[in-house]
Amino acid sequence: MNWLRKFFDNQRRHFQPGGKWERWEFLFEPTEKFLFGWQQLTSGPPHVRDSLNVQRYMVFVILALLPCLFFGIYNVGYQGLLAAGRPAGLWPSILLGAGKVLPLVVISYAFGLGWEVLFSYVRRHPISEGVFVTAMLFPLTLPPTTPWWQVALGISFGVVIGKEIFGGTGRNFLNPALTGRAFLYFAYPVQMSGNAIWTAVAGSGRAVDAVSAATPLAVAASGTGPVEKALADAGYGFAKLFTGLYPASIGASSTLLCVAGAVFLVALGIASWRIIAGGAAGILATGWLLNLLAGPSAPAFWKLNPVFHLVMGGAAFGLVFMATDPVSAPDTHAARWIYGLLIGALTVMIRVLNPAFPEGIMLAILFGNVFAPLLDYMVVALRLKKRIPNV
Amino acid sequence: MQKIHSKRGIDFRIRGWPGERLIELDDPDRVAVPVDKLPVAKAGLLVKPGDRVRLGSVLFADKKRPWLKFLSPGAGRVSQINYGPRRVIKELVIDLDGDEKYVDFERFSLAGLRAAGRREIVDAIVAGGLWWALRRLPFRDVPDPDVVPPQILVGLAAKEPFSPLVELVLRDDPDLLRTGIEILEKLAPKVIVYTHADNHEVLRTAGDVVNLVVDGRYPADDPATVLYRTKQSASENRSWYIDYQDLLLVAGLLTTGRLPTRRIFAVGGTRAPSRVHFRSRLGVPVSHLVDIRAIEAGSRLIAGGILRGYSLEPDGFMGIFETGLAVLPANREAEFLALFRPGFNRPTNSRAFASRLRRRELEYDCGRQGPERACISCMYCADVCPVDILPQMLYKAILAQEVEEYLAHGLLDCVRCGLCSYVCPSKIELTENFEKAKMEYARQQ
Repeated sequence: MNWLRKFFDNQRRHFQPGGKWERWEFLFEPTEKFLFGWQQLTSGPPHVRDSLNVQRYMVFVILALLPCLFFGIYNVGYQGLLAAGRPAGLWPSILLGAGKVLPLVVISYAFGLGWEVLFSYVRRHPISEGVFVTAMLFPLTLPPTTPWWQVALGISFGVVIGKEIFGGTGRNFLNPALTGRAFLYFAYPVQMSGNAIWTAVAGSGRAVDAVSAATPLAVAASGTGPVEKALADAGYGFAKLFTGLYPASIGASSTLLCVAGAVFLVALGIASWRIIAGGAAGILATGWLLNLLAGPSAPAFWKLNPVFHLVMGGAAFGLVFMATDPVSAPDTHAARWIYGLLIGALTVMIRVLNPAFPEGIMLAILFGNVFAPLLDYMVVALRLKKRIPNV
Repeated sequence: MQKIHSKRGIDFRIRGWPGERLIELDDPDRVAVPVDKLPVAKAGLLVKPGDRVRLGSVLFADKKRPWLKFLSPGAGRVSQINYGPRRVIKELVIDLDGDEKYVDFERFSLAGLRAAGRREIVDAIVAGGLWWALRRLPFRDVPDPDVVPPQILVGLAAKEPFSPLVELVLRDDPDLLRTGIEILEKLAPKVIVYTHADNHEVLRTAGDVVNLVVDGRYPADDPATVLYRTKQSASENRSWYIDYQDLLLVAGLLTTGRLPTRRIFAVGGTRAPSRVHFRSRLGVPVSHLVDIRAIEAGSRLIAGGILRGYSLEPDGFMGIFETGLAVLPANREAEFLALFRPGFNRPTNSRAFASRLRRRELEYDCGRQGPERACISCMYCADVCPVDILPQMLYKAILAQEVEEYLAHGLLDCVRCGLCSYVCPSKIELTENFEKAKMEYARQQ
């Protein structure tokens, strides 16, 4: 890689103060460091520093998301071929899915990075690496039939309104990817809700006449008999819900891969296990509580086995990848438990008790984000009370 | 014997600890008192270049507190007074002439010590120019001798890389430590002598004076951590502490009547030509402890521990408080796509590198390991803080200049251990900011 090293060494002068591209230094520096690492030395004590930096932290989150992306590509193609009545082999599915999904990912990155670069240029800040995660998370939560312009609009809203206007990564209080997702959900309900948007049918152009198949959550909400049976009748056995091989948002349907991602991120100490565990506990406890409270006349959804709430919809994806965003989550460990529990409980309540929204995880997490500072405030106040004052 | 355990902190699996060998060094041809590293507001010089001084002659005193004197650590001629930025005195250099003429101070017999009152002991230490050895928490400044502190802490432990082995220092003269502790008992109603649970030899040989055992990772053995873990009320916040090697100096001064100068230094780090202990004297030039020419280019000399010390030029001198010298690499090689490598040899406290899978010692270098970024609230800092501070919140309170809030968060309990800055993935200079805020607060007091 010496030629590359030399190339960068030769180009550096243009980006230094006085060089012709000096204002673009904020792009040159991260690219160079991304390839060759950071060579600056500590200027004072402590003289040694941990090898982990934010960049590696973000890289691991993206790595954990890649299986979801690859599965999403396959699943979108597979469902599209099935709906068109064509044989859904492995390679045809991947090819079709890649054609549907990759443009959305590319648009998300192009617009997300574009805004980040613009804000960095104006503010003379370094590029923050968080946008790479946001731009990956965002398309995975979308239906595969989302129009391209909506992807561009959604990620723009998420990055600019969800993050940049507060000062960039580290200062936002909402999860930027979810902010963009919620914006699309409320601004374009026609393309973002209902049962007809979850399959991009092969050979019929983009998003025009997608087939209509009720999502698991829609089945569960409308069922009158036992919900488990209604789900099974609609083709959603527990195993299928767990693996995620059904028409759904691009990357958020596979609970299996979300669990794998959670294990990976928790093992590396990147994601907070307290949030994930708290969220799962909140979902199970609320589901169970509804079971207990359900009288004979209660809707069937109340009596659903709570475990199903974990595998339906985007609950697992949201808990593992969205709720664990450390910036918009609370800081303290105790507050993270409460935050997780709150998100889990709200998810089930929105799903079961609110007929307007079939899925609750997105709103629950955004609600949790808003509550995070308050939770921290309370936990910190209790902690500080225990300190022997030193003034 | 009371025992306390601190859960947080870090065990550094670092290569380059000095061995147990102790090498006696001949006297260097010059010694110095590095002035800029002392807790002194402004030094008023009492000598000028060319003056002849004896061991124990007064070189300078604090202008604000004239009784706080600093004495010559050798007999000879004042050869240089070096100035740093803004005409601050950096160091006073004394060429030793070898005859070691010394100033006589009051000498106590053991019985005399026991019979002496607090005033006599204080006067003897102040006159003997060793009052600087006593430090006051939380600002680590030199205390007012007229104030009786709630307690004095003496740590027979040293976990920061690379500090001398305590047992090796104590082997010299075990009774001197006991005398020192008797002296401290004259100064304060309570003296806490503690060691680390791993220091079996210290527990065996000095177990009779140790009244507290601390267990846990660095910085469990720091006096500020020990105070935080043991204090019952806010009245103990202004406790004093003294380094055990400095206590031996005080005991030596009072029992012999002359200023002791011998001290044991540890030299460590992967770039150090020989990693051993040296017996030399106060104010020794760095070049006397390590062969500067044998050190690879692009290395950093650090006096006083790799987490809290300061870097030294090759022509520098060891400060009076510092007993450790580390030589670490300070020229990082570019590693292609290092972000994506498993990192079998990368030191870390996180779990994000493959080095965590193996229990072996690693080479640490002076690289910052990343660019400074905004805080992402990962909480790594709070998970290592030995005194339960939430460093990221304290940092934000300091940036917002919320004095009441950052004091409530425990700024003054900060141990200055450097661990929050060490683990920060955003490479924020937390410790440095805390220290600045603390010093600013101290100035306003």
